[in-house]
Amino acid sequence: MSAESINIITIDFPDPDRTETIDDHFDPLPVRSSEKLLHLIPDHELSNHQLQSNESFYFPVPNIQTLSSKGVERGDDPYGLLYIPALQTDECRDSEKQYVPQNATRLANLPANSGYALIAVAPWFSPLCMKEYFATARNEPVKAFIVYQPNPNSTAVPPETNDQAWALNDGGSWQYNNQFPTYAVPGASGYLIASKMSDYSGNMSTVPYGDSLKDQFEESDYVRLWAKVTADSGTQLPSLWVFLVIVLGLLILIIGATSFCMHVVQRRRRNALRRRVINGEVDLEALGVKRLTVPADYLTKLPVFAYLGESERGEKSMSQASTTVDAETSLKGVPLSRRSSAPEAPSTTRASAIFSQPTCPICLDDFEPNESQVRELPCRHIFHVDCIDPFLLNNSSLCPICKQSVLPPGYCPPKITNVMVRRERLISRRRTQNAPGHNHSPGNIVARLPGAYDSLRARVGRTSGGRRMFSAPTRTQSRPLDIEMTSGAPPVPAVQPAPTATVLPEIVAAPEPTRQNTAEECPPEPPSQYPQQRREWARQRALALLGNRHAPHDAEEEEQNRSRWRRGLHKIFPGFG
Amino acid sequence: MSAGAKKRIMKEYGECMAETPAGMKINFDEQNMTKWEVLMDGPDGSVYAGGHFKLEIIFPNEYPFKPPVVSFRTKIYHPNVSNDDKGSMCLGLLRPDEWKPPNKVVAVLRLIQSLMVEPNIDDAIEPSIANEYKENRKEFEKNAKDWVKRYAK
Repeated sequence: MSAESINIITIDFPDPDRTETIDDHFDPLPVRSSEKLLHLIPDHELSNHQLQSNESFYFPVPNIQTLSSKGVERGDDPYGLLYIPALQTDECRDSEKQYVPQNATRLANLPANSGYALIAVAPWFSPLCMKEYFATARNEPVKAFIVYQPNPNSTAVPPETNDQAWALNDGGSWQYNNQFPTYAVPGASGYLIASKMSDYSGNMSTVPYGDSLKDQFEESDYVRLWAKVTADSGTQLPSLWVFLVIVLGLLILIIGATSFCMHVVQRRRRNALRRRVINGEVDLEALGVKRLTVPADYLTKLPVFAYLGESERGEKSMSQASTTVDAETSLKGVPLSRRSSAPEAPSTTRASAIFSQPTCPICLDDFEPNESQVRELPCRHIFHVDCIDPFLLNNSSLCPICKQSVLPPGYCPPKITNVMVRRERLISRRRTQNAPGHNHSPGNIVARLPGAYDSLRARVGRTSGGRRMFSAPTRTQSRPLDIEMTSGAPPVPAVQPAPTATVLPEIVAAPEPTRQNTAEECPPEPPSQYPQQRREWARQRALALLGNRHAPHDAEEEEQNRSRWRRGLHKIFPGFG
Repeated sequence: MSAGAKKRIMKEYGECMAETPAGMKINFDEQNMTKWEVLMDGPDGSVYAGGHFKLEIIFPNEYPFKPPVVSFRTKIYHPNVSNDDKGSMCLGLLRPDEWKPPNKVVAVLRLIQSLMVEPNIDDAIEPSIANEYKENRKEFEKNAKDWVKRYAK
């Protein structure tokens, strides 16, 4: 904290030894604690002691250079009576005579042991003597030290603190050893102060205008020079720093405002998505936006009963089922028999469902009549409770066989995350882009294919890093219905009158496996003839096809797999990228 | 891996042993039952006839909810098998969104056999081989037989 100004004034104060009573305005009692010394002449009382300007010395010192600001606290500006500290060696005392008038104020000229706050004044004429000045000052209640250069004609600002002129050959340690600040004033000011200090060092009769002062004050009073240093607040930063701080502040402000806006927007999108999910416009799991799981309380509402065993109807179906090797083939009997029985009669329904589904598709164990506890999903597929429950609780809300959701329509997961919003938007954007009539890109073969939606699936999956975006194609949901409606007889897979666009389920073990499937699943053509691109395309495709053994299964997992800074970025700017 | 999944794999292994499809041999390690090694002969009448192919089936922890991962350990010139050291294949019921728990490994193996007889061009993982198969069958057959001689003897 550098000094902004040093004001030197002349004050009158009573001799503490003579004062018997305590003055309201001025407490001259010797104070032992140096802390209190500072408060001996408080600012607001100064006017009481300051002499009239026309008969006193008043000098605001110009061109101050702060050499050390040690010990200056904010709002605690040093002040005190001016004096010249004593020197120890004779050589210094001799040399001092050139720079300091003989009778300038010394400690002896101030009330003895009064403990008043002091400000030392000394010429910086040699490092050795300067050290002696400082050594003396350290032992006295000095609040600040004013040095002046020996050149009496200099009025310019003294050199800076690291200048050679202020070297004491001690590596600058004097600045740290002194518990007071040090200010340098130009030589001319210094000489002026010193000469005035010699004027105001004696008793009342010897000071300038002493006669008139005698009329106003006690004759035993002291009239001395007093200085107050006004230090700046110290928080004034260099302009470059100020600039940087402003720029930084602006940046933070902009980022903060943007972040806030994005949060608001994202929040609205989340709410909109939630509304649409509840209205049934969006099926999160079917779109692959989010892998839902079934909450435990809802799961317990799904019917559980003991496997009933066989009936005469069952035997028919059983024989049917046992002829087919494939488990799924037998499963197709389920919706059929259900349809033929009255859906309102649960017992019949169940019985029919059960005998057409003699084994648990998960563990492949046969259901034991009247023993196995089975859970029936809304799609009428039955499983061992132990097999299906962990799956529904932890993995998916879709029936493992028909991929129909177990959850009621309009079910909305308790938390809609930003990731879900992002994916949903991505998917719907892709869909609108690839809608017929918007097919402007020549390489965009997808939209021309009959199964545009499914190819699109692959594309979306690929763009999201090989992840499968659609865990359940929408067509699978309509499949059982088709079968139900069109075939009335016990199930024979071959009599499948469904349109070819509907995928036959038994790609499983059928000798010609994926014919019909691929008609729809047809991948986008390789993009170009360039081998490089083709290879890349093949790689991407392989990733899309294979990919997710190691790929995360859920949005949250994906989020966790992101690098930390990207996660942070998304926290600040949701909906970004 | 859950006890249920282990039980199911054991059961499937038992079924496979009971009626192993022709031209196949399954090596099963009790210690690591999630990794099967299958030795499959090239089906008669296909370009791969006479070759012996080593396959690896790895069951994911979520099996049977997730499909097993099948890869050819022996190099094979086939549009549906990736032409790298992974030898991975993924199509039809092996695709995660097509897979259903009732499907069995036997079905997977049968699918692979049938694919060796007739590759599925529309679902190719190696488009260059698929193209060759479509447009230049002779060249394809020559290459495939060549590879059988080189790698699968």
